[in-house]
Amino acid sequence: MNEKQKRIRNFSIIAHIDHGKSTLADRILEYSNAVSKREMEAQLLDNMDLERERGITIKARAVRINYTHKDGEEYVLNLIDTPGHVDFNYEVSRSLNACEGALLVVDSTQGIEAQTLANAYLAVDCDLEIVPVINKIDLPSADVDRVRKEIEDVIGIVAEDCPAVSAKVGLNIDTVLDAIVENIPAPKGDENAPLKCLIFDSHYNAYLGVVVYVRVIDGTLRAGDKIKMMSSGAIYDVVEVGYLNALGLEKGEELKAGEVGYITASIKTVSETKVGDTVTTAENGATEPLDGFKEALPMVFSGIYPADGARYNDLRDALEKLKLNDAALSFEAETSIALGFGFRCGFLGLLHMEIIQERLEREFNLDLITTAPSVIYKIDKTNGETVFIDNPSNYPPTDTIAKAYEPTVRANIITPTEFVGGIMDLCQDRRGIFKDMKYLDATRVELHYILPLNEIVYDFFDALKSRSRGYASLDYEFADYEESSLVKLDFLLNGEVVDALTFIVHSEKAYTRARKIAEKLKDNISRQLFEIPIQAAIGSKIIARETVRALRKDVLAKCYGGDITRKKKLLEKQKEGKKKMRRLGSVEVTPEAFMAVLKLDDSEK
Amino acid sequence: MKGLGLYIHIPFCVKKCNYCDFYSLGCMAYEGIERYINSLCLHIDMEGKKYSKRQVDTVFFGGGTPSILSVEQIEKILNAIHHSFHLTKDCEITIEANPGTLTEEKAKSYKSIGINRVSIGLQSASDNDLKMLGRIHTFEDFKESYRLLSSAGIDNISVDVMYALPNQKTEDFIETVDRVCEFSPEHISAYCLKIEENTLFYKIRDTLSLPDEDEQYKMYITLCDRLKKMGYEQYEISNFAKPGKKSTHNMKYWLSRDYLGFGPAAHSCIDGGRYSYSESIEEYEKALEGGNEPKKIAEADTPLTKDEKIDEYVMLRLRLSDGVNVKEFEERFGISFDSRYKKNAMYEKNGYICKKNGAYAFTPKGFFVSNYILSDILENI
Repeated sequence: MNEKQKRIRNFSIIAHIDHGKSTLADRILEYSNAVSKREMEAQLLDNMDLERERGITIKARAVRINYTHKDGEEYVLNLIDTPGHVDFNYEVSRSLNACEGALLVVDSTQGIEAQTLANAYLAVDCDLEIVPVINKIDLPSADVDRVRKEIEDVIGIVAEDCPAVSAKVGLNIDTVLDAIVENIPAPKGDENAPLKCLIFDSHYNAYLGVVVYVRVIDGTLRAGDKIKMMSSGAIYDVVEVGYLNALGLEKGEELKAGEVGYITASIKTVSETKVGDTVTTAENGATEPLDGFKEALPMVFSGIYPADGARYNDLRDALEKLKLNDAALSFEAETSIALGFGFRCGFLGLLHMEIIQERLEREFNLDLITTAPSVIYKIDKTNGETVFIDNPSNYPPTDTIAKAYEPTVRANIITPTEFVGGIMDLCQDRRGIFKDMKYLDATRVELHYILPLNEIVYDFFDALKSRSRGYASLDYEFADYEESSLVKLDFLLNGEVVDALTFIVHSEKAYTRARKIAEKLKDNISRQLFEIPIQAAIGSKIIARETVRALRKDVLAKCYGGDITRKKKLLEKQKEGKKKMRRLGSVEVTPEAFMAVLKLDDSEK
Repeated sequence: MKGLGLYIHIPFCVKKCNYCDFYSLGCMAYEGIERYINSLCLHIDMEGKKYSKRQVDTVFFGGGTPSILSVEQIEKILNAIHHSFHLTKDCEITIEANPGTLTEEKAKSYKSIGINRVSIGLQSASDNDLKMLGRIHTFEDFKESYRLLSSAGIDNISVDVMYALPNQKTEDFIETVDRVCEFSPEHISAYCLKIEENTLFYKIRDTLSLPDEDEQYKMYITLCDRLKKMGYEQYEISNFAKPGKKSTHNMKYWLSRDYLGFGPAAHSCIDGGRYSYSESIEEYEKALEGGNEPKKIAEADTPLTKDEKIDEYVMLRLRLSDGVNVKEFEERFGISFDSRYKKNAMYEKNGYICKKNGAYAFTPKGFFVSNYILSDILENI
């Protein structure tokens, strides 16, 4: 190992949401002069507006920091930021694989939370040296000793001398930098071995094409090299290599084993540079890729339609733009009788879905109608064929199904003890299978369940939050496909099936769900001149029924003193409302009615 | 040229009713009635100069409660009108009067100064209802007022009633209708209670138990039916008259005839334009005392387009039972009614609109959902 390599430290910061990860990252950059205060926007690493607003990091970023340690030596610290949410677990694990160590930030007023643990376990799986950092010690309710003990008891790592800081006010940041240099090992790897670079992120740039973020594990990479993506075999000519500066890309000569940097190679979309893939040289390259590569597969699906049908093309353009930078997003055109032309979109999970929807609405100024989120069902048909269904409308007829399977997840819930009862009821109600329960300390419990994903995508977060007054936290990962008794539930308005409302539900829950949604529809469909029956059906069997009574009165009885302006304004307003309606056969429905059925508040019952 | 209508707004009441959001002031709180009447006279004089060639065939004193004015005050306004405008011989002169504000002397004087039509605000025959509505009178007071007017020789009386009142059932409302019919008034207006913002009822709306839509519909349909049997013709959504006793003034609103409004919040429609005055008695008086016209609020910043005019015509005509005469429509606008309003056929088929005497008109059931239908068939409102 050369001298330069010995003084490289590659590390990530991991934390539960809101425990101060981004603030600590800012302080580290500032302290080590990687970026001056003036140049720094607050929380530089999170550079999407949405991230800043939600206080979460969606996509990984990396920054190279030069730091002079108290031993007088100059070190290169590569901070690789990770997405902070369970939906991006795979991306997190790839970022961690690019590091030798991780700072585990724990809020001294909150202690360990679900994602603290999930991330810590991920880091342990990647053989990282974990450096706990106890944050927010400036707050009156900080309890550093309790949190130290909790880290030792629950995670089983020494926390006795770990840094205790306040990232917000910039207290003790030097102890964090020292801990990085002293406790995290230098990267191993041989600069003369065949090239192996791990892709941990990439983003699309209009001028450079895709900028690929890599950690060089072995070998040396130079501009002009011919490289190969080991998962696809695709070959590219490297245009540029360099380092990731706090303020942008810094062009360099070469990247060597242990270093973190970027590559550009006239690559058109990020789907060609898959996170976790191995980059090697086209000739005399590595024979085996790095372990752990997986295609990022969408788990949650939803139909997305423009509220104004004329904006279909705008929606397509917007999705294409987002896709440039988000390999995990999938979409294909679909047509709904109820909603017209739109797209069936696939997401890593619920948060990913929400983020995409919000970005479409905010950055592209689109009004959307989205259908209830669904998962992929696996169906063994009686003719021996196996199909995967991501759109409930395409669910095959019962008599053609031999066996149906639904995806399940391992869920890990951490909650204050007082809410355990309510949360267990909730999981029970959502068909959860209890695995075990562990006391983290006297006040907090960790629950493990196997839950059908289909139950989680349906307002589970909201229910969990409302039953724990916001205190419970959830983390989940895909477990398996399990055989299940599923039915397709259709809704009919005035005798016609509304495809956008169809969904798949466990047979035991079909009746309750059907009744609830029928009621909700009744409340949200405005009266029309005729009576509108609402029916819920499994096949041809009606299992719930409601009726929207006919409109009897809609009149301005008095127009006093010749004031006809008032009447005109009223009609104008009514006309506006009518324009937004979707016509389903003979029935007109507001977009709100579609959305209302997506939010069933289960805690009411 | 068709006759001109004058609307005189008297924005004073003994007490504001619990449901009322029209522009009116508690009379006790306002001591300057004389000042207001002077302003009105100045205004009448000013407008009279502009429209001196027009024949006025209706005058309507509305409110508020015009009947709280003294006879002298009414007479002063009427004199100003006579002075500035040319009134036709059979000019319809209406005053709104509330029971409890009429005396024998007032009734007789109305007759003698030329008032030939009185519209009495009764609202309900139930004293409980009246109290709840915040009215200052009882049903007995109404009977007395009616008697005074009849004896004074006023032979064109209209009675206002309301339905869809809190706790009211269809039977209760029909009881009111029947008791009014015992007097055989020439004209009946029946309005549906609407809870408007800025009223006491709005504030306490959650505590009011109002009849539901279906009950209200029943009230309306029973009303139309009952009055028809009693010899009244329904000529507008909320108005019923004995033969030949339609309110000529009221009709002007729906026939887009010219009318001039006087007073704050009064509306005018003249020479193809619509405007109103702001809801401030102070501004109104100040302008006139300074020799200026009160500030007009135009209905639209730009003149209506042809399509807007056509739709407005249809909207207004459809308030009337005579509806839109197809031939007249086509002559006036040079386009076919049926091809412009294609959706009309569906409503006709379902009994909301009917065609009689060459005109399309709402049926009673259609009237009661007319906003829904109009907002569907009119593209240019």
